[in-house]
Amino acid sequence: MNLDFSIIPKYLPFLLQGAGLTIELAVLGIAFGILLGLVAALMKISHTPLRYIAHFYIWLIRGTPLLVQLFLIYFGLPQLGITLSAFASSVIGLGINSGAYLAEVFRGGIEAIPEGQTEASLSLGMGKFLTMRRIIFPQALRISIPSLGNQFIITLKDSSLCSVITMSDLLQTSQRFASRTFASLEFYTAAAVLYLLMTTVISALLRSLEWRLSRESRTRGN
Amino acid sequence: MNLAYIPKKSKVDNLSLPEKSMINVKGLVKDFGKNRVIDGIDATVSAGEVVVLIGASGSGKSTFLRCLNGLETLTAGEILIDSVPLESKSSSLKLIRRQVGMVFQQFNLFPHLTVLENVIEAPVHVLNQKKDIAVKAARELLTKVGLLDKQNCYPGTLSGGQGQRVAIARALAMHPKIMLFDEPTSALDPELVGEVLTVMKQLAEDGMTMVVVTHEMGFAREVADRVIFIDEGRIVEEGSPIQIFSNPQEKRTQAFLGRLSH
Repeated sequence: MNLDFSIIPKYLPFLLQGAGLTIELAVLGIAFGILLGLVAALMKISHTPLRYIAHFYIWLIRGTPLLVQLFLIYFGLPQLGITLSAFASSVIGLGINSGAYLAEVFRGGIEAIPEGQTEASLSLGMGKFLTMRRIIFPQALRISIPSLGNQFIITLKDSSLCSVITMSDLLQTSQRFASRTFASLEFYTAAAVLYLLMTTVISALLRSLEWRLSRESRTRGN
Repeated sequence: MNLAYIPKKSKVDNLSLPEKSMINVKGLVKDFGKNRVIDGIDATVSAGEVVVLIGASGSGKSTFLRCLNGLETLTAGEILIDSVPLESKSSSLKLIRRQVGMVFQQFNLFPHLTVLENVIEAPVHVLNQKKDIAVKAARELLTKVGLLDKQNCYPGTLSGGQGQRVAIARALAMHPKIMLFDEPTSALDPELVGEVLTVMKQLAEDGMTMVVVTHEMGFAREVADRVIFIDEGRIVEEGSPIQIFSNPQEKRTQAFLGRLSH
């Protein structure tokens, strides 16, 4: 057995650079996904034909693999004259994908808010939009934070698929050095450890955010 | 909290004022699916009048109240609020709702906002009041309901009676012409009912037009100008508290009041 982790420190700056891109993709992807998920959730709970569009979007995206979606965007769309950079394709792919899952998360959060909140808001003369923005959504978001955090972790890990469409993220960087030095176990272990580090930090941040929010609504101000 | 008891303005004063109709209901019908909940109600409430609606659960009294600020769409009939017809169009509905405050059985305070933020929410975002002006007015209202010391608390930390008093202050912050109360004390522990009724009594003495659905017959007897007994979606009998409680004419009213007394 020849296992030699001493090779890693030399390449660590490159791996960290790759991890930086991974974080960038995950953050931009989830931000786009939150936007799409919110719109899709509102469409889905609306009693208009728009809800069928949301249904279709969620059905389509959840029913197909992310890698296929990325291939379609990056390799397929140029045939229709739409050429996107690998970076743009990745962010859009991750966004569309996480958005479909977040749509259900937000819908669940919104529907969990008691009807009385809407009635109280409307009876104060607030309109439907203002009610959603000021009263319902802030509460729904709080309920959604654990699932939103979960989706962020999934998106961060899923971003490794973007390595296949030429992104030099953490996985692709590791892959490059692994094949160059034949130290596959060392580099992929290093990649796994860095992914684990990132997801652990995100989990911890989310827990403290949840704790702060719940403490605020339970006890502050006495 | 101790609000000094101020005797209710005398009926003579009331009569000397020109009778201005604040709420005018004509031929109101409300169906839920095939179920007719309100079956033709005509009613008028004058400015400054306190009307208490009584009746068994399922009689339609709460639905009637919810129709008055457009929380329920009307199947048939017409409602005028201060001579303006209540329409289902959202822009005109919003204008009417500013003038009709509503207090709910479950308070429905906004749990993510502090007590003060609950009270200034609509003045700031609906009436576009400046925040410092809204805060000043809100503090006065919270003082009035005896809860200024709770202004920075979240609703989850309040007792039921405190929560309901905040809900009343929140509705009053819009300077409504009419206040609707939908069983405001039914969700409260018995020892907390009094503090809410005291605030409502004070409001009645200040001349607010009020329509109250309640099972608190003591409150009805003491504060109401008129009591309306509703059964099966219709007004069975109405009159002064003395008439209704001491000398009910209709069999159904007698049966209902008889059930309450045991």
